[in-house]
Amino acid sequence: MDPWLLITIVIGLAMAWAIGANDAANSMSTAVGAKAITPKQAVIIAGVLEFAGAYFFGKSVTETIRKGILDPTMITDPMVLVYGSVAALLAATIWLIIATKFGLPVSTTHAIIGGIAGYGVVYAGTEIVNWGKMGQVVLSWILSPIVGAIMAYFIFKVFTKSIFERKDPVRSARIWSPFWIGLAFVVIGTMFYIKVLHGNDLKTGVLMYGVPLGIIVFAVTYLLIKLRFPSSDPFIGVEAIFRKAQVVTSAYVALAHGANDVANAIGPVAAVYAVATMGLGGMQVPVPRWILAMGGLGIAVGVATYGYRVMETVGKKITELTNTRGFTIDFSAATVVLAASWLGLPISTTHTVVGAVIGIGLARGVKAINKDIVRDIIISWFVTVPVAGLISAAIFKVLMIVG
Amino acid sequence: MQVWTKLFAKSPFKPLIKHADVVLTTVETLEKALQAWYACDYEGMKKFATEVDRLEDVADRIKEEIRDSLSSKLMMAVAREDVLIYLHMQDKVADAAEDTAKWLLVKKPDCAPEEIKSIILEMGTESIKAAKLVHEAIVQMDRVIESGFAEGEIEREYEIIRQIESVENKIDGLDTKLMRLVFENADSMSWGDGLYILNIARTLSNISDKAKDAAERIRLMMNK
Repeated sequence: MDPWLLITIVIGLAMAWAIGANDAANSMSTAVGAKAITPKQAVIIAGVLEFAGAYFFGKSVTETIRKGILDPTMITDPMVLVYGSVAALLAATIWLIIATKFGLPVSTTHAIIGGIAGYGVVYAGTEIVNWGKMGQVVLSWILSPIVGAIMAYFIFKVFTKSIFERKDPVRSARIWSPFWIGLAFVVIGTMFYIKVLHGNDLKTGVLMYGVPLGIIVFAVTYLLIKLRFPSSDPFIGVEAIFRKAQVVTSAYVALAHGANDVANAIGPVAAVYAVATMGLGGMQVPVPRWILAMGGLGIAVGVATYGYRVMETVGKKITELTNTRGFTIDFSAATVVLAASWLGLPISTTHTVVGAVIGIGLARGVKAINKDIVRDIIISWFVTVPVAGLISAAIFKVLMIVG
Repeated sequence: MQVWTKLFAKSPFKPLIKHADVVLTTVETLEKALQAWYACDYEGMKKFATEVDRLEDVADRIKEEIRDSLSSKLMMAVAREDVLIYLHMQDKVADAAEDTAKWLLVKKPDCAPEEIKSIILEMGTESIKAAKLVHEAIVQMDRVIESGFAEGEIEREYEIIRQIESVENKIDGLDTKLMRLVFENADSMSWGDGLYILNIARTLSNISDKAKDAAERIRLMMNK
């Protein structure tokens, strides 16, 4: 086997591990924090579903250069693609591990984009970078949290109005809880079609997946609640209903995350594999199934080894996040990401979730949010691309001299 | 990722309820001291009054902890100043109970006239009501936020605040009645006894005064 391929595979695994440790744990954190599931259950759900998402639903064709951030026609030497992929992957992994160490939720996509741009600039100067695409990525830092906040603000207001602001909250909870959960599943069904099955047509997604799933879930939830409302106190009852709903929504997030973000770890591996086996790359290269499996496995191991510790801390600490709030955050984030992928905007899930938390805070829904941490998170978003780019540029330079 | 643990700061409401628990126990213990005083049982009274002093210390400590945790860097559902002032007022309820206990201990009771003693006892019982209502009010405030400031929950909170105000009113009335009684009995009492009774009454009525101030703050918290 080509030694470079072997090196890339090892770093690809490390990247997958870092994605599992940082990002995948994020997908379950609202559920763990709101005590819908224990950390142990979260690890099992996330581990299995991240792997399933990556292996069964990961794209079988991947871009050699993530999001077309570089102009591929300017790379004539295939070895540049090899060195570059190694540099970008290693840089993204290093940054992710640093971010995880400091507990910052950063976008793995942004890290890999920064890494790719970094080696591109060293190789061919700034003109190789597709600045239009880069502009979109930068815009997504700003757009994702703002849209997430606005969405969560309004969903939270309407949500509480529909359930708690009634003469008989228990009665309205019986009707409105299934409605909200059903609505969330319309979004989830559609997202499943677009993100997991990689479908393109929104109408097909909504009509064939979203609406039928939503109706089924509404009917099932309605019947379950009709049979037995969890408590005579509307607050405890509603929280109990949404606790169960949150288990399913977070499971979905893990599946979609595996299907999508595995590309960040295995895209460069697939590119190097194409060069090693066929001698050249192109805009897109096929991804062998074993590489997908490797990516999925890496993420699952990341969740089990480091993500577990993280979720355990979350499970012990966040007690202020109730299930209705956790559900509103998940629901808002999913809706925003769906709308964004329909409009073709690059929106980061992690950023949207943080925005949604702030939106609920602005709607006076969360008792206390740490503004310092919000500031740290925003700074970490701004440094992700440049830092990953600089590390990648340095590694690439060394590889070009040595190789 | 650990950011999730830090992003959501600890809500001040659970500790505020804990503080209210201690304040309520303080007032209840004071009432026991008053009953012992009513029965001219100095030893019993001393025991309970000392306990009031200890409980007030516990409340103080919780108050300090809450203050330390309420950094200005928090984004909260209610204004930070409202929470701090509310806490201050709730703590004053325990302070007032401690003041009463201090006055009780000043001298050995030589059994004041029955009429006066029963009014003092009644004031004590009413004070417990006030402290209980404050506790109820802060628990309800937690629910108001939980419901996303739903009208129904706000209305329930207003009802509790109204009850606190009416208890305060009642104690005020008892206080006035007592002052009059003391002067009517001026001939049969020493000036020391008079001063003693009047100060016990004044500190006792302070309990519900502060309870009312705390309730006022909750009213402000609910304003949008």
